[in-house]
Amino acid sequence: MAGTGSPQSEPDGLGPPVEDHRLALARFLAVESGAERVEITALAALRGGAIQENWAVDACFTGGGFAGSQRLVLRTAASTGVADSLGRLEEFAVLKSAYAAGVTVPEPLWASDDPEILGKPFFIMRQVEGSAAAHRITRDLALEPALPAIAERLGRELARIHTIRPPLTDLAFLAPYEEVGPVHQIAGFRAYLDRHPAPRPVLEWGIRWLETHVPAPTEPVLCHHDFRTGNYMLQGAVLTGILDWEFSGWGDPHEDIGWFCGKGWRFARLDREAGGIADRTTFYRGYESESGRRVDPQRVFFWEVLASVRWAIIALQQSDRYMIAGECNLDLALTGRRATECELELLMLLDPGGMPGDA
Amino acid sequence: MRDLPTGPGLLALARDVLLRDLMPLLPPEAHLEARLVANSMAIAEREAISGEAPVQQILCEVETLYGDGSNGEAGLLRQFAGDLRAGVFEENQSRERSAREILWRLTIAKLRQANPRFLNANGLS
Repeated sequence: MAGTGSPQSEPDGLGPPVEDHRLALARFLAVESGAERVEITALAALRGGAIQENWAVDACFTGGGFAGSQRLVLRTAASTGVADSLGRLEEFAVLKSAYAAGVTVPEPLWASDDPEILGKPFFIMRQVEGSAAAHRITRDLALEPALPAIAERLGRELARIHTIRPPLTDLAFLAPYEEVGPVHQIAGFRAYLDRHPAPRPVLEWGIRWLETHVPAPTEPVLCHHDFRTGNYMLQGAVLTGILDWEFSGWGDPHEDIGWFCGKGWRFARLDREAGGIADRTTFYRGYESESGRRVDPQRVFFWEVLASVRWAIIALQQSDRYMIAGECNLDLALTGRRATECELELLMLLDPGGMPGDA
Repeated sequence: MRDLPTGPGLLALARDVLLRDLMPLLPPEAHLEARLVANSMAIAEREAISGEAPVQQILCEVETLYGDGSNGEAGLLRQFAGDLRAGVFEENQSRERSAREILWRLTIAKLRQANPRFLNANGLS
């Protein structure tokens, strides 16, 4: 289950930064691509990955199938992270499955856990053009006319992700659904709160509701588990890639739908329930047309409540990376404060109209 | 008695200097970080102004719910959280409603300090 563990330092994440490994990386790229030689012409950290490091790698390949200039992205772990995210080689395998299923993702190229190259596992994918900046996407007036079509397309993309189903040898490392379903997630939330220094009564109340409303089991599918505005790239109005597969796992398809529609991911447009870009109907239409299955609003509601709890706990975990693991990062420290936004959403979902008049 | 300007006053002024005077001098890639700094200062300013009063008020309400404050501040909230987990208040409609009202007040009080804009965006203040 994504997002119920503790902050953790990866022992291999404390080595020298990626810049110090240019030559080893160039050699790796040459071997994997069959090139005579590879020269890395630019290497720059990309913003946005809260848990993983992403590096833009411009490289000139001499010979082989990639001859010429290539724009790539290297993805590896940050020095601290949260438990339950996949390792980089596992994330690479999931990305390959999604690519093979026709999902719009950056093409996965090569991966390695050889400590001699970077000192920590990583993978390489093609760089896709565009921006994933959620606030811009949800408030850019020039993008407005295209947003319904983008929401419908995202619905179709999600349905395509959900065509990937167990058992799959390539994804055998993913925990069986029986071990990551809602009951286990609820237990994970509570275990985390038991370790957390400050009591969170609203979360406890929300989790209690979840416990008493668990839906009937379903046939599991591959869930992205972080499918939301901010995790897809748009170039203009064109979807160029769905990113950040580190939390993927088997799950209820409605789990991803509830997450996408959660208020935490609507950014500048809380009124647009599908990712801050469209109404639900539009997003659901895309999903239903591609999958041939009806979206069940009751199941989505359950998963949307769970999404609020899960996002609150992830926010607290991010803050723990500063408070406990000592990562000096203001963004992470402030993210913990966002847990209360999720708690407000829980109250609004589960007790609509219950706000005291003189609050 | 502390000297003037007050701590919150200095924070507000420093935040203005950051956003108005320094931000234009920073490279664009540093703007996000600068806004995070400004946001942190705003939270610290609001918390310094409101002090412990909002939290104390909520704790009084929890005490009233239990009719006993003998557990102390942290113990009381932990007991409240534990009882919500166990569904204790579900057995009595009136206490259940009181518990929910406390949850609303607690959340609103926290957001008034951490993110009043989010409260407003949700039709609350």
